[in-house]
Amino acid sequence: MKLLGQFGPAERGQAGQLLNELKQEVERGLEQVKWWFEGKQSHEALDGPTEDLSLPGRLPRLGRVHPLSAVREDIEDIFVSMGYLVYEGREVEDDYHCFEALNMPADHPARDMQDTFYVAGGEGVVLRTHTSSAQIRYMLDNPHPPRVRIICPGRVFRRDDDITHSPMFQQIEGLVVGPGIHLGHLKGTIQAFLHAIFGEHFPVRFRPSFFPYTEPSVEADLGCVVCGGKGCRVCKGTGWLEILGSGMVHPAVFEAVNERRGRKVYDPEEVTGFAFGLGIERVAMMRHGIDDIRLFYGNDLRFLEQFAR
Amino acid sequence: MKVPYAWLREYVDVEVTAQKLGEALTLVGLALEGLEGEGDAAVLDLDVTTNRVDCMNVYGVAREVAVIYGLPLKPLALGFAERGSPAGEALDVVIEAPDLCPRFCARVFDVALGPSPEWLRKRLEAVGVRPISNLVDLTNYVMMEMGQPTHAFDLGKIPKGRLKVRWARAGERVTTLDGAERILAGKVPVGVVAGPESPLALAGIMGGASSEVSDATRVVALEAAAWEPRAIRRGARALGMHTEASHRFERGADPEGPPLALNRLAHLLEKTGAGTCRPGLIERHPAPTARTRLVLRSTRLEAVLGTTVPTARVGPILEGLGFSVGRWASGQAEIVVPTWRGDVSREVDLVEEVGRHHGLGRVDATLPPSAHPQGLTDSQRRGRLIRDTLCAAGFTEVINYAFGPAVTAGMDVGPAVVLKNPLAEDQAGLRRSLLPGLLANLGTNLRQGRKDIAIFEMGRVFAPGGDLPVEERRLALLLAGEGRAAHWSERVRPADVFDVKGLLELLFRRLGLGTADLASGGGLPSYLHPGRSAVVRLNGDVVGSYGALHPETRAAHDLRDDVLVAELGLEALQERPAPPVRMEALDRFPAVSRDLSILSDVRQSSAALLALIREAAGASLRAVALVDRYDRPPVPPGKLSLTVSLRFQDRSRTLTGEEVQAAVEGVVRALRAAGAEIRGE
Repeated sequence: MKLLGQFGPAERGQAGQLLNELKQEVERGLEQVKWWFEGKQSHEALDGPTEDLSLPGRLPRLGRVHPLSAVREDIEDIFVSMGYLVYEGREVEDDYHCFEALNMPADHPARDMQDTFYVAGGEGVVLRTHTSSAQIRYMLDNPHPPRVRIICPGRVFRRDDDITHSPMFQQIEGLVVGPGIHLGHLKGTIQAFLHAIFGEHFPVRFRPSFFPYTEPSVEADLGCVVCGGKGCRVCKGTGWLEILGSGMVHPAVFEAVNERRGRKVYDPEEVTGFAFGLGIERVAMMRHGIDDIRLFYGNDLRFLEQFAR
Repeated sequence: MKVPYAWLREYVDVEVTAQKLGEALTLVGLALEGLEGEGDAAVLDLDVTTNRVDCMNVYGVAREVAVIYGLPLKPLALGFAERGSPAGEALDVVIEAPDLCPRFCARVFDVALGPSPEWLRKRLEAVGVRPISNLVDLTNYVMMEMGQPTHAFDLGKIPKGRLKVRWARAGERVTTLDGAERILAGKVPVGVVAGPESPLALAGIMGGASSEVSDATRVVALEAAAWEPRAIRRGARALGMHTEASHRFERGADPEGPPLALNRLAHLLEKTGAGTCRPGLIERHPAPTARTRLVLRSTRLEAVLGTTVPTARVGPILEGLGFSVGRWASGQAEIVVPTWRGDVSREVDLVEEVGRHHGLGRVDATLPPSAHPQGLTDSQRRGRLIRDTLCAAGFTEVINYAFGPAVTAGMDVGPAVVLKNPLAEDQAGLRRSLLPGLLANLGTNLRQGRKDIAIFEMGRVFAPGGDLPVEERRLALLLAGEGRAAHWSERVRPADVFDVKGLLELLFRRLGLGTADLASGGGLPSYLHPGRSAVVRLNGDVVGSYGALHPETRAAHDLRDDVLVAELGLEALQERPAPPVRMEALDRFPAVSRDLSILSDVRQSSAALLALIREAAGASLRAVALVDRYDRPPVPPGKLSLTVSLRFQDRSRTLTGEEVQAAVEGVVRALRAAGAEIRGE
């Protein structure tokens, strides 16, 4: 092509065209040679060893979250999505937070409902029998009184040990306080929660009950998850499973907190609230068909490794 | 509590089936727990909450039924004829302790003891009471029917026919109806009904053997009293007793019940031919209880229930339950509480009464107005991250009791907080460390034939403190057996301390924590192997320790093979906020790598060697990594062969070969000066 300049103007065009055609011809040929070589190479790579993929994969060791932690986190997530703060109190408590401020003075018959562990050497030092004590701790420390919206998960202790009772178990307490909070809010919240955790198709029933620190007190029942409400051994033929205790915060609880704070932080005439509490084990037992509460604390890997998370 | 349907129907003409009635009672707070039999033979088993002592009897339940269905509640039949000489001639009563007994009533009966008629025996059996004799059975019948416990004394066995109600004196004894001799000397005062000298019965709890009625009894004194609930509760607790009577009295029986119960008994004794009543009620009433008067505001009803209940509905509910309702004016009315409702003491209790009979189902369910979104705190999110990281790294979460043995063999973790009333001796101490629990779990699973165990726990430990013990949240983990999951393609390797160290490094990186020092040994717990363990320092603070279990600790737990553990304070891991990562510019100029083989003394710590290299290499060294470590022949004894890889790079230009060479030579000189030998470059 360098010689093109030696041609006259007329031949120069013709020669240029010929040369271009020749160039394209050569390039096409080279392309074909390249393609043939590459193809051969990849064929050779494919002729190499193959794997028997029916063999087990190299699975990293698999750890599991304890089923109670999984349930607890699920419950926390539901309430967090409704604007609740997760607050943990103490596990070893004094009589004031565990009983007295919750409208259970000394000699109150309701204390019989909960057989309490006492710490040696301390006056009225107990292992908390319920997470309700965290309500009191939070209300006393609350940075935004009188508005409260918390759940308090944690371990609680009662002197009981059999197939349905463990001396340590876990509860989640909830507390909502503010102006204009009423029983309808309690119902709506608990219904929304139970539907979120068990499914919308289970009916929820509310019936009056008794707890010293709520008035009115309300027990929530869930349509039996085993028989679907027809009546079976698990629900004792009633079609309902007792799932959660709740109620409107008793004015005496607000008064106890006010007394300790030294001023009317939660004026029972101005604010109302509701509280609820449920056992995490019960939810896990219903969810996984577990019939012995003690399995949760036996820490037998044959049990723990059955759960997916 | 068992309630025969036919007995209920004596007082309220309810027509629904027992099942339907049970469901309706459930919705007003008396939950149906069981139902036996059908039609008139049906017996409802109701769960009566501890505050509702007024419903621990048939008549109280009948009152609830009457309100549910808007039916009239029929009165109890109380009529009888008095015969013989005045009761006061045979019996005298003195109350010496009005703080124990605000009211004491008695009547005297001439009786003919014998078996009860069949209807009476059947009724008692239906409610779970064993029939004894007509007189005793009727006292039980009246208690089950109207809630007032009564007690029959053989009048002939009351010395001089005189009763004193007083506190027991120290050292006094009484043999109760169950045959047990009770010594009333304790610190807790116990009330008694006594003769002129010694106690005859435990007040409100149980009668005594010395004045017990027998087939030979011809004259009885029937006692029906009101007792101070706290006195009965303390006394029964102190004596370790719990009876049908004490159960009711300590919850507050109706103070107006005593004279009515005696009239009812007189009526029934006459009706069954078991006895006749002598004229006159003997009554001592030193401390009459004032009626509780409350104000109910309709605004309060609405504020708590979230729904409007018309006053036209509030009235019949409360009146049906025995409250008297004054005239409504300016949205409020005065309410007088019936004597049997000691549990109703404030306005909100009235709100509950109205709410439960109006129906919780009539309250619309709605969500409270939305609140500030708060979410999990950083610390809570980091707690979850720790759990998930450990699980992803192959560790399974366990949860142990907060209590265990106060002392664990081979593990000195300091004195424990001790329980006053543990369930078992090996559950007497609150844990000071999570590791004893994990060791117990190791044992459990080894016994199941498991060999490879990787577990962790996140929970609180307790140490003696001021008013309340100190609670601290911790993370602990335990690794035994193989270092990782077995696979057909490779040989298994027993877990060692570097598995745990690596895991901790992984955790700290995922948490974005500052530089952790995992190599220093000072202050190790005594249960760790001193040569294969280290404390964990985070930004200088000791936050825990990890390593191999001390051989003596292993021996104390019959463990043959190595066990690796770690325990760290969670506060240090969760509460240190990780600052947001600041991006570094990506490198635009090439890196140069050089490897060095070094022969060093085995006592030389690798961290110190790498620090030496970093310092000697100068600013162009970007990274240094240990890639091989070898201590077998041909490496001479006492020496180690280490291979390190150095990476040089500059942010602003390409490094020249000469610059890299100069840096490497600087490193070599420094290493030689430190006594190391360079075997190749």
